[in-house]
Amino acid sequence: MQKTLEVLLLDDEPIVGRRLKPALDKIGCHVEVFENPKQAVARINEKEFDIVVTDIRMEEMNGIQVLEHVQAKWPRTRVILITGYAKMDLAREAMGKGVFDFIAKPFRPDDLRQIILNAAESLGISVDKPSGITEPVEP
Amino acid sequence: MDQHITDIKDPDIDYGSEPENIPLHQRPSISIRAKIAISFSLFFILSFTVTVWSYWILTKLEHKIEFLEIADNYMVEIQQARRFEKNYLLYRTDLDDALGHLKTADKILKNNSEKIEKILGPNHFNTMVSYMSKYHDQLILLGAAENDAAKEAIVPSLRQFGSQMVSFATEFVEKERISVTRMFLLAKRVPLYFMSAIFVLMVFVLVFLTRQLLLTLNRFMEYTKRIGEGDFSPITPARKYRDEFTKLAEAFNHMIKELDHKHNVLLESHKLRAIGTLVAGVAHELNNPLNNTLLTASMLTEDYEALSDEEKREMIDDVINETERAQRVVKNLLDFAREGETEMALLKIDKIVEDSTRLVVNQVRFAKVDLTLDCEPNLPLIAGDEQKLKQVFVNLILNAVDVLPPRGKIRINVKKDKVPGYVLITVEDNGPGIDEHIQGRIFEPFFTTKRRAKGTGLGLSVSRGIIKKLGGYIKLKSVPGKGTVFIVSLPATDSPSEIMSK
Repeated sequence: MQKTLEVLLLDDEPIVGRRLKPALDKIGCHVEVFENPKQAVARINEKEFDIVVTDIRMEEMNGIQVLEHVQAKWPRTRVILITGYAKMDLAREAMGKGVFDFIAKPFRPDDLRQIILNAAESLGISVDKPSGITEPVEP
Repeated sequence: MDQHITDIKDPDIDYGSEPENIPLHQRPSISIRAKIAISFSLFFILSFTVTVWSYWILTKLEHKIEFLEIADNYMVEIQQARRFEKNYLLYRTDLDDALGHLKTADKILKNNSEKIEKILGPNHFNTMVSYMSKYHDQLILLGAAENDAAKEAIVPSLRQFGSQMVSFATEFVEKERISVTRMFLLAKRVPLYFMSAIFVLMVFVLVFLTRQLLLTLNRFMEYTKRIGEGDFSPITPARKYRDEFTKLAEAFNHMIKELDHKHNVLLESHKLRAIGTLVAGVAHELNNPLNNTLLTASMLTEDYEALSDEEKREMIDDVINETERAQRVVKNLLDFAREGETEMALLKIDKIVEDSTRLVVNQVRFAKVDLTLDCEPNLPLIAGDEQKLKQVFVNLILNAVDVLPPRGKIRINVKKDKVPGYVLITVEDNGPGIDEHIQGRIFEPFFTTKRRAKGTGLGLSVSRGIIKKLGGYIKLKSVPGKGTVFIVSLPATDSPSEIMSK
């Protein structure tokens, strides 16, 4: 099965979304970027994403809460957590709640792309250019 | 550490003007034990002397009274002898009566020669005996004389020796009588004198005990209180002599020095702990700009050919801005962690408080606590050490964060104090508050309500030290269940703003 990966990216740092959206577009993802967790959750309620990538530390609502929400609504959706400061207790809590993977700041776009490809694979979705992630790509 | 000497003195006691200026180890050494020993020895020597003296004088009196009895008997006999001598001369009665009395008198003398000799001395005793024997010889001569004419010739010498014998004895008896009276008087008075002396001694010991011991103990109690409050300046007890209290003072000063040293070590560890707390927050704060920089730079390389000049410029600006953001985070932490001497500068207090809130922004965010800062405009400058003041406010905010539940509130207010020339900073929380019975102890060093591993119990005591040194004060108002407000007042300074270091 070949289709576009539907990805929701949530981080309260605007630059993260600005840089990662084109990076993920290149591996055949369709990325929706959010800086506000409330708005992101509202969007999750409307649409089933394949993958949700969310920062843990945010105002108003944290990544774990987003994870719980996604799990409740869309059990199939893979959730990837971004942590600013790796803390074991948080990781353990998230693992228990069915998080797909973690990525710690600072990371390279490729690091996330690899995790996303893994997630896609676990979903049984083959992506457009699985081998092209390290090659410069024409827009 | 500041070393202002605050010796606590009792205003009612005249310590003399000099002793304080003499170093403890140079003062003459008289121990309290020695003073007490001297007092007791004096008491003992006095009692012993009086007892021995009383014994001696009573023995002497006994002898004298015995002597007086003997002397009285003797006097009676010789006076009788003389009466019979006169009767003989007038009426030619029997001379044997006179000789008989004289013989009895002689017997009295001979029998009691030792006792009499003891009182009169051997010379006077011999004189007495010789007068008597001369009179006796004259009486014999008188009895032996054949006619009246011959008798008349003896009479003058007889009378002379007779009266000499009597007057000598009378004189001595009289003298002894006077001496006995005098000794009685003494024996009566000396115990009274002794009692007075004991009374004076007792009063002195009492005064000594209350003044020197109790008052000094009180003063040492004041010292311990002062040390307990974290004042580690050495003590200088106002005492003229070296004694146990001087040694105690030296021991105290040694302890104070050790405490001060350990306190400083602990201050450093407290600061390290605070830094540790901040670092946890800073790591997160630092990873965000680092991540932004890394992502931006990575994408810039990856898409270099495809990006427009405008996009490239935007991304390069992002890299610069995010790098500077990281630099600020690090600088804030370094500023806080900086070691070294107090650096006095003219400071904007609102900026200090604002910087402090920025330092703890992550702790505040993690704890989901709401922090608001209100600064009155046109605040006067204050003189102080920037880092130390930040330490105070960081500490106050972190304390509040520790006790607040999620969605708790911290309100910080900076304004002019009602007292002119002072700036007032209040850090208010709506946490559980502080129980009244520990409110008084909260500024004591090592006092902590936090779990063992969490608090050193030094934060507030250090804060108070810093604020006190700047001429301000820090106090708290707390209603259990409602919240706590810490009030810091700092003196504003009139100095021109040009000498501001920043």
